[in-house]
Amino acid sequence: MECWSSAVLEQWSIGRKSRSALVFIAGILLLWASASPCAAFKDALGREISVPAPPKRLIALAPNLTEILYALGLGDRVVGVTDHCNYPPEASLKPKVGSYVHLNVEQIISLSPDLVIGTVDGNERYVLDLLEQAHIKVFFVNPRNVRQAIETISALGLVCGLPERARQIADALTLRVNRVVEVVRDRTRPLVFLQINIQPIMSVNRNTVHHDLIRLAGGDNMTADEPVTYPRIGLEEVIRGKPEVILVSSMEREGRFEKARQDWMQWASIPAVQKGRVHLIDSDLIDRPSPRVVDGLEIMVKLFHPEAFK
Amino acid sequence: MTNDSLHKPPLTPGRVFRLSLIMAFLLLLVGAASLLVGTAEVSLHKVMALVSGAAGPDDPARLIVLRIRLPRILLAGLAGFSLALGGVVFQALLRNPLADPFILGVSSGSAFGAVIGILLGFTFSAGIPLMSFAGALLAVFLVLALGTRKMGMESSTILLTGVILNAFFTAVIMFFISIVSDSRLHTMLFWLYGDLSQSRYASLFILSPALIAASLILFRFAKELNLITTGEEIALQLGVDVEKAKKTCLVLVSLLIGLVVSFSGLIGFVGLIVPHLARMAFGSDHRLLIPVASLGGATFLIAADTLARVLISPSELPVGVITAFLGAPFFLYLLRARGSQWNRS
Repeated sequence: MECWSSAVLEQWSIGRKSRSALVFIAGILLLWASASPCAAFKDALGREISVPAPPKRLIALAPNLTEILYALGLGDRVVGVTDHCNYPPEASLKPKVGSYVHLNVEQIISLSPDLVIGTVDGNERYVLDLLEQAHIKVFFVNPRNVRQAIETISALGLVCGLPERARQIADALTLRVNRVVEVVRDRTRPLVFLQINIQPIMSVNRNTVHHDLIRLAGGDNMTADEPVTYPRIGLEEVIRGKPEVILVSSMEREGRFEKARQDWMQWASIPAVQKGRVHLIDSDLIDRPSPRVVDGLEIMVKLFHPEAFK
Repeated sequence: MTNDSLHKPPLTPGRVFRLSLIMAFLLLLVGAASLLVGTAEVSLHKVMALVSGAAGPDDPARLIVLRIRLPRILLAGLAGFSLALGGVVFQALLRNPLADPFILGVSSGSAFGAVIGILLGFTFSAGIPLMSFAGALLAVFLVLALGTRKMGMESSTILLTGVILNAFFTAVIMFFISIVSDSRLHTMLFWLYGDLSQSRYASLFILSPALIAASLILFRFAKELNLITTGEEIALQLGVDVEKAKKTCLVLVSLLIGLVVSFSGLIGFVGLIVPHLARMAFGSDHRLLIPVASLGGATFLIAADTLARVLISPSELPVGVITAFLGAPFFLYLLRARGSQWNRS
């Protein structure tokens, strides 16, 4: 197979300004795709990956990537997902390739994918070596915030030969994000404490997608400046910090969350407790840089600024 | 040795050879079976074709069997062999049934090195094993420097030094684990529970010669070990240079184990129970115990790792979970039925 295109797709740099350039490149790629059996793209590791155009057997190595592929309408081309891929529900019926931090290479190879999508932060690099020996193409992405999640949708749309659909989805999501940003402009920003783990209490610093969501939704992350990415926070520290909103991120609606809320209720000196602003948020909506992260953003903004939605 | 000789045939080189051959055959059988089992369906027919070279170089089955399964099985075998060998020697040398090859702090020393390597973003191809081996060397050096006093090496002093160093390094490791929280945390945890999935032929080429050399030298100490287990005084009177035997064996085993765990991570339990199982089955003459326990360790770890691969396939269990979960009840059963055979030599 001869692959002769070399469109440079730096997914970092696909800001809104360069969207037109992207569409242009996409157009050229589309022309190329019809002329040649594969096209080359640069991934988040800066490697040039030649991809069959279009790839027909996809494996996603992280839950957010599975969600993106399904959002692009590529669900029937997905032949393997990770243990944690639970959305959309039908994705969890696909063959599993292990947990995204500990992949089963044997299983990936035996599913004979023509393109594997991995994440720089989550997946182990040695997997890449083995898959390359098996002549399996791996395209790495690295979305770390809301904007990059949307860019990743565009990038994967291009790689999978659906630039037009990807653009529509990305545009719609960008519009929704901008609307939220518009709503919170000039409003006072509540101090937010996001609890991602109940026992011990853990939160997030500024290097997380969660922080980005809090920021975009018009809040200030209480633990933004912690040196550790997911710091353990003492109860004392939360009481001293006086957050105005406490968000508990959990997958369980009742039970543990209710217990966590009751635990907070003892500490009436915390403004969030006084005003009854201790809320549950679905962790899948805020942990994963996927299209649904915008749903998480819209839920957050309503919790931070209820007055704006009256 | 009087008790043993009552109901066991006398130990001749021929008997050692025969029993070792049987254990080696068992090892080969388990290894071959393990090669056929896995997430992906690869038929026996296909494996035969691969071995005979009939399959094409781009066959995915070839990669699965020769690049993923085989190096992993070989590493499991080498690691199991070394751990059991180390366990036999340490139990004899320190005259302590609780001794295992990790007891002098080699494990936590190499874990300390590995965790720092992972923190610095090193890879499993070179950086992490190197750091881990350096950590093991540091631990061995500290134990020998701190645990040896003017009058020589006292087993209890060495043991306590090892245990305390273990505690210290474990605290440092826990500190690092509590401050990292991204994907490196998972890498660390998998390493700490033992992970054979990243085996490469290159690491096997480093391990095998070291292992062969170490086991040949240790085997030559079998007679000395027999005498030391009966008591250091007696051994001295019978002309054994106890000090020299101790030092050589301690350093040799620690280096070997440090090298092994730098590729395999910490795999517990093999080095503790396999020597005891072998002692129950074959008696405690080290001329026989060393070869059969080592081969048994290799067989046991390959079997355990195969289970770790397939039990909740396509996900994987840490192999340490299997060794302890299956090994402990089996060991307790034998212990109840037959006693430890520890004081029967």
